Amino acid sequence: MNEKNRAMAHLTDVELLAVADGELSPADAARAQQHLMACWSCRSRQREMEVAISNFVRSRNALKDGLRKSSRRVQWMAAVVGLSVALIVGFLAFQIWTDRPNSRAAALAVPNPTLTPGAAVFSSRGELCRESNVRNKSVPQNLEKKVFEEYGIAHASARAYEVDYLITPALGGADDIHNLWPQPYSNTVWNAKVKDSLEDHLRQMVCDGSLELATAQKEIAGNWIEAYKKYFGTDQPLK
Amino acid sequence: MSVDAKALVGLGRGRAEEVSPLEAEVVELFDQLRDRLLRYVLTFGLAAADCEEVVQESFLALFRHLQLGRSRENLPGWLFRVGHNLALKKRRRYKWQSTEKPDLLMADPGPGPDRLFATNQTQSRLLSVVQALPERDRRCLELRVEGFRYRDIAEMLGMSLGAVSMSLARSLGRIARAAER
Repeated sequence: MNEKNRAMAHLTDVELLAVADGELSPADAARAQQHLMACWSCRSRQREMEVAISNFVRSRNALKDGLRKSSRRVQWMAAVVGLSVALIVGFLAFQIWTDRPNSRAAALAVPNPTLTPGAAVFSSRGELCRESNVRNKSVPQNLEKKVFEEYGIAHASARAYEVDYLITPALGGADDIHNLWPQPYSNTVWNAKVKDSLEDHLRQMVCDGSLELATAQKEIAGNWIEAYKKYFGTDQPLK
Repeated sequence: MSVDAKALVGLGRGRAEEVSPLEAEVVELFDQLRDRLLRYVLTFGLAAADCEEVVQESFLALFRHLQLGRSRENLPGWLFRVGHNLALKKRRRYKWQSTEKPDLLMADPGPGPDRLFATNQTQSRLLSVVQALPERDRRCLELRVEGFRYRDIAEMLGMSLGAVSMSLARSLGRIARAAER
């Protein structure tokens, strides 16, 4: 095709779009512009393409307006902060994990009976069993702090423990420093989850009348691991 | 009950007060690009909450990318590429999940609620045409409308320049025909 014929040939859709989008090389763009000036047919096709673009953009904007405008900056900042904090905490937890000998942690699987003898509030079974949603009650923050002080756990290593009720509120346990002790996260066998299952079991027994509430409280406050072994008839926590 | 959660809250508060220049920069990029990226991610047919999550993860990745001192060239392109990949990953997970949510199994559940916002018939016809486009053509179109040049699109989608150019022309042809009907 010689130069003249090339200039006369109609532009393809691809070329029409590319020239409008400024994506052709300068030489090709010049040739296309020259053709467009001469050719009504190609100009009208290019216009149709522009109409298709505006229709598409308009329908998209209509969709966009339907989107809920959610907060942005705050949300994102929260995520960044969360990430940084997670890294810091993870790092600290790792340090604590590697620093602390397991013997100390194991010693705390059962609380110090002088510091944490256990304390209860409810006296009657009926009252207790009517109470629903007693599980996962959170420990008041000021009490948590006191418990750590009492057990001589430094602020930095406090993250390795969860302050737990000895007698669970589900069995009438009190929000009392005598009923709280720091349970180490590093306890993998006799951990909080195992204790939870004992608590559920005892509460059920108390509420269906097969166990005295006072006995249940005494058992769990005495040595909850022994109580678990006794009431589940096993030496190891059940899976 | 957990001491951890409280420590987190406390630390979180402490951190939020001091904003590093890098954080400020990413926040600025966030203000510029967040809506555009969200719009793009929404075209993958994911649930709105998942789209928000993808957008957030993308910006976190951008933050880490800059924190590690990696290339600052064409950050919008970089961000969209990450968003694109995360959205695809999320969508693949939909397909693995149970059959209890059949509406989520399809990449693009047809016009559906979109119709609520399409003000007239032409628009809803146009939307169905767009949604019926082959995945690649749809991606090209959605990236182009977000202002990316052919070169960026080609790079993001692993296509040749010519293929991008052809894809766009083909899609616009379909859209034009949908409007005529």
